[in-house]
Amino acid sequence: MTKSLYTFKENLAKKGVFLCFSGPISHDLMVEMGDVLKLKMQLQEENISTILKVFSLLIEQTQNIMFYSAETIPEPENANNKLHLGIITVSYFNNSYFVQGGNKVKTSDVSRLEEKLSKLQKMSKEEIKEYYRAQRRLTSPKTSKGAGLGFIEVARKSSKPIEYHFKKIDDQFSFFSLKSTI
Amino acid sequence: MKKLVIEPSKCSPFINFDGDKNSLLIQGESYPENTGEFYRPVFNWLNEYINEIENQEVIVNIELKYFNSSTSKVLMDFFDILDLSAQKNLISVNWIYDSEDEDNLEYGEDFQEDLKNLTFKFITK
Repeated sequence: MTKSLYTFKENLAKKGVFLCFSGPISHDLMVEMGDVLKLKMQLQEENISTILKVFSLLIEQTQNIMFYSAETIPEPENANNKLHLGIITVSYFNNSYFVQGGNKVKTSDVSRLEEKLSKLQKMSKEEIKEYYRAQRRLTSPKTSKGAGLGFIEVARKSSKPIEYHFKKIDDQFSFFSLKSTI
Repeated sequence: MKKLVIEPSKCSPFINFDGDKNSLLIQGESYPENTGEFYRPVFNWLNEYINEIENQEVIVNIELKYFNSSTSKVLMDFFDILDLSAQKNLISVNWIYDSEDEDNLEYGEDFQEDLKNLTFKFITK
């Protein structure tokens, strides 16, 4: 690993990845990542609107991992709370920013998620906006820790249709990846 | 009526509700760890306040640089309560946003379209 770490880092750099975290994610960690992202983009003199869009995608996609990743470890100070594991990256390539988030999901949930995501992928900007407003009016499902608007928010903020992928690990778990673009 | 003041943090806004002055302010950024928990006292205060007022002029200042999707849902519920009360009170919402942040204006206009009785003013800073 020691020798290959440089290659690993260089491979990330080649793909334009400038922010990357893989492991258990806490709320505080997410807040810090958001701060670092804003700082980095401000130094590159990015406009406020772009910074806030990328920041918003980072927050929504990280919270998606924190709420729904099927891979968890107990929090040391509060065993009732669990830290959820996943990977989140922000990259800049060919004049676009990309936010990619990935986490394990139950294989039995894949078809339900796929249905949700493919619906969003096919919608126009205006349709996404209307769907967002309609869903906001509904009471959030009991299984949802957020408002259940996360994916819709990501689709709404993304300047291109969202991309996603499910890789089956085994009968129990699959790996879910989600990519948004600014 | 007792004021409600909650100091801001990096991920939760400054709340300053003054019932005597009919002035409600939410300012900062909102993506708290537990959105429901953070806004519980806000709704408790609001429901009590709404029960007490009639024929009042109320100013609501919303100046949120960033809010996440769970907060968006909370804001909808917040405006719904005010919208109902605006049948017997004059309630105006000042939606204060950065002129360079067009998304923020769009989100504000979305709220306005979903409400009947509240008057929205869009103010750049």
